[in-house]
Amino acid sequence: MISSIEILTPKNLNEVLGILSSHDRDLRIIAGGTDVVTGLKQESNRFIKTEVLIDINHVAEVKGIEQTNGRISIGAASTFTEIYKNQIVSKELPILKKAVRTIGSLQIRNRATIAGNFVNNAPCADTVPALLVYNATIEIESINSKREMSLQEFLQGPYKTQLKKDEIVTRINIPVPQKTFVGDFYKLGRRQAVAISRITFAVLIELEENKITEIRIASGAVTPIGTRFSELEEFAKGKEVNNNFLKNLASKMGEEIIKLTGLRWSSEYKLPVVQQMFYQILRSATTKNL
Amino acid sequence: MIKLKFILNGKEVVVETEPSVRLLDLLRDRFNLTGTKEGCGIGECGACTVLMNGKAVNSCLIFAAQVEGNEIITIEGIANGNELHPIQKSFLKYGAVQCGFCSPAMVLSAFALLEENPNPTEEEIKDAIAGNLCRCTGYKQIIEAIKEIAEELVHK
Repeated sequence: MISSIEILTPKNLNEVLGILSSHDRDLRIIAGGTDVVTGLKQESNRFIKTEVLIDINHVAEVKGIEQTNGRISIGAASTFTEIYKNQIVSKELPILKKAVRTIGSLQIRNRATIAGNFVNNAPCADTVPALLVYNATIEIESINSKREMSLQEFLQGPYKTQLKKDEIVTRINIPVPQKTFVGDFYKLGRRQAVAISRITFAVLIELEENKITEIRIASGAVTPIGTRFSELEEFAKGKEVNNNFLKNLASKMGEEIIKLTGLRWSSEYKLPVVQQMFYQILRSATTKNL
Repeated sequence: MIKLKFILNGKEVVVETEPSVRLLDLLRDRFNLTGTKEGCGIGECGACTVLMNGKAVNSCLIFAAQVEGNEIITIEGIANGNELHPIQKSFLKYGAVQCGFCSPAMVLSAFALLEENPNPTEEEIKDAIAGNLCRCTGYKQIIEAIKEIAEELVHK
């Protein structure tokens, strides 16, 4: 049984910011509720003190997906179903679309929202690797400030972000990819639907005459937080794509992951799985068009 | 307490409730609509699936206050009086029901799918019910039942 909580339903962003600026009670934002309600039910430490929930489902400023001036702006409270069905996303952000498709079940995707996926910075957030390879930035507002930062910067550490108590993530902005990228997203979980991911990878690659001119690599779940791999990206730049090189890159990815997580009881299993998975995603990305 | 107004199975209803009561409990305890089941209570089994504005959702993850002004359909709302809905008939015909605990939600997931896509592929059917766990049937009969009714709808 969830104890009684007051639920406010502001009608616009100004009202939300006003409520957030009053610090006398423990406030939480709720949209789809797939994290908040389960957290409350399971008496998670993250939610135990919650007195008031702010339902942002009626706030137009955090909804909708638009493309203007070379960038795509996704409302923070866009549901995964809305993102999956959106034509701009289908055309310009196929890796995000693929990642969204692996989340939860249809019932979950009909409610859960994109900012809700990463705003608590759980390592297993499936949209994070995809958003990272698209160089997403996060728009954040409070009653007297407005700032924007890269998602990588926003995600500070496991379950820790830059978000302050009086702030709300309003939009996720992604520069429209100007290059012809190939790429892929892969999620490994215990089963396909309604599974918390164990390992996720996203890659975007620009190829010119079979040489890598740009590559962006990101992981989730297997690393403490979603991460880009800038050293690997540098290493791969300018290299010719062939089987040996992809195997080499995958083996280096395994080493990077061990470096980030340390040797664990599960490493014996995870290392070869990570390497094989990453090799396969590189293969599929470089052998088929998006 | 809040005064909540929404549309339930086609009728406008008003109820006084605590705002953080789950839609699942509201339906079962206040409206006696016990076809909506609680399995896991954390959005993983789908037994509490209802339709909100035509979309399948887990009623265990929605608070009463979030239902204001929305349209909810439960399993009790799809039959026509004593006449079962064609999906329900098809489930019976194919033996897609064993213990029955997942069935109301499964039927609603099928209902939402066919409203949006009257001619789904087997993969689309599987995807639409991936959030509905059934521990008895092995899903085969369920998928067949949905497939047949989809074909009927298309040829109507």
